[in-house]
Amino acid sequence: MDSKATWGSIQKAVWDGRLPLQITLAPSESRTYDQTDPYLISYPRISYLPSLLPRLRTFFASSLIDPNTNPHQGWFSFEGVPLKWHYPVGLLYDLYAGADPASKGGTDTDLASVSDEDPLPWRLTVHFSDWPDEELVRLDADGMVMHDAFINSVKEADFLRNGTAKGIMTLSKEDSSGLWEAVRDVDLPLFQRISNVLIPPPSQPFRNVPIRLFLPLPPDSGSPSLKVVQSPIPPSILPSSGSASVAASQSILPAARGPQPQTIGSALNMLLPHLFPSRRTPVLAKPVLHGAAVPMSAPVEEVVRCSGYGDGWVYIVIRMMG
Amino acid sequence: MASPPSSQRTLSAFPLVTAEEFDAACRAFLNRVHVVGDTVMGWSSIRLHNRTTSSILSISRKIGHGSAHHNDGLYSNPRMDQGLRWEALEDDPEALIRTPEPSALQVFYDILLSPTYQVPVLYFQLRQGNQPGPLGIDAVYQYLVPDQYKNELQSVGIMGGISFGYHPDSGTPAFFVHPCQTADAMRRITGQRCITPESYLIIWLGLVGHRLGLQLPKELFTTERMLNSRVP
Repeated sequence: MDSKATWGSIQKAVWDGRLPLQITLAPSESRTYDQTDPYLISYPRISYLPSLLPRLRTFFASSLIDPNTNPHQGWFSFEGVPLKWHYPVGLLYDLYAGADPASKGGTDTDLASVSDEDPLPWRLTVHFSDWPDEELVRLDADGMVMHDAFINSVKEADFLRNGTAKGIMTLSKEDSSGLWEAVRDVDLPLFQRISNVLIPPPSQPFRNVPIRLFLPLPPDSGSPSLKVVQSPIPPSILPSSGSASVAASQSILPAARGPQPQTIGSALNMLLPHLFPSRRTPVLAKPVLHGAAVPMSAPVEEVVRCSGYGDGWVYIVIRMMG
Repeated sequence: MASPPSSQRTLSAFPLVTAEEFDAACRAFLNRVHVVGDTVMGWSSIRLHNRTTSSILSISRKIGHGSAHHNDGLYSNPRMDQGLRWEALEDDPEALIRTPEPSALQVFYDILLSPTYQVPVLYFQLRQGNQPGPLGIDAVYQYLVPDQYKNELQSVGIMGGISFGYHPDSGTPAFFVHPCQTADAMRRITGQRCITPESYLIIWLGLVGHRLGLQLPKELFTTERMLNSRVP
């Protein structure tokens, strides 16, 4: 019960997490070029950028050179990089802003003062024309594309957790669209009610844990600016003594050699052994989630249960150290 | 010609496919296509790309206006698609000779293994001449989806059976057929029979590819009765 309460508080902290955004209209689309007042907002980390488009279209209406553009023609960029709208804004920030993650000892003030520019507020540009077709999937006026992308992501997480696609299929139509509305409107109580139907209770361990790792690549490494790593990650690992002895040990000594929980460190060591040579200590890189360094010893299933994004996934950004 | 041994073993976790089995399936299929001859297929090109996570089988086809079955102008400029990293068939003398007319439609299919669902997934882009960006969903239904499948594909899910997302390797926007029903469909079609990786891929192409205009000519199967898993 104690750990359950802690999970709840972590989940609430994740849902309460906000980023200050400073959004400027693309100068080429503005009647006043780069003199347009920016739009400022404290925006939930778990939210998606397109939800801001109607407000931004209204805010910049008088500045737009082309008054005939629609909100769903809007897209965002950071330092010239078009931002993939199907990722939550917190993940995009962790990926691109270059901010140092918070850690247990608090933010390193010396480091912060050394860095030449404060990453906050995060300065984004909104565009309402010249959609980058080679880089971004177009949105539609009714928000169907975004809803579809979200549900596809939910389905994948569900499939990994259960080994079947049945979980999401058993949700009622109301709950299925309610899940998207809960995330869109950052409505944690509604989200928890539907999650309790969708996600198996802690007494039923996941088959695999929905985690994706994002590796930023150097700019000269080719067209994709990041690499996404995904592989089925079971929530527990069998002892290293070998599978042949497992059956015997289970029947004779059930407690002595049970499976060990898969930790963030053991999963990283398995998927990216060169970057994470140790399961316990970050040596070359560190895992970042919701703007914070994730403890290597944290069990992956617990991390996913309490600090997943709205689609059920944990997206970890790998940040090189030093 | 003897196939590699791995392609002759039956699938270890049917209806799921491992990365090794998927790679073996693609190689065996590629051999089969080359034996029959590229021109019979009506495709501009077929290639296998190796990635650390999964192999990618890339097929491209030109769509003629009302003359889909002719092979005229089959080989188009391979550089027209940057997004899917199209590469020329080096040994094809015609590859660089013909250039596409401005309105020519070309479809690029990429078949990958889904790391989540552990079944093949079909990603595709439809492009027209030198127009920037892939064409939209309306063009996909107009040019790729055979009439008998249109209602079926449009009636499922939020946006129908075809989703718009990002190509897992190149990161560019691409359509894909959502794979969450694939394993069940494969089980229903094949029963619990033991099948080889290549048979699986061919049945899958008949199931998924066929709905998006990726047809297999009967010549592919005239040399042997491959679906019975018999070694030639």
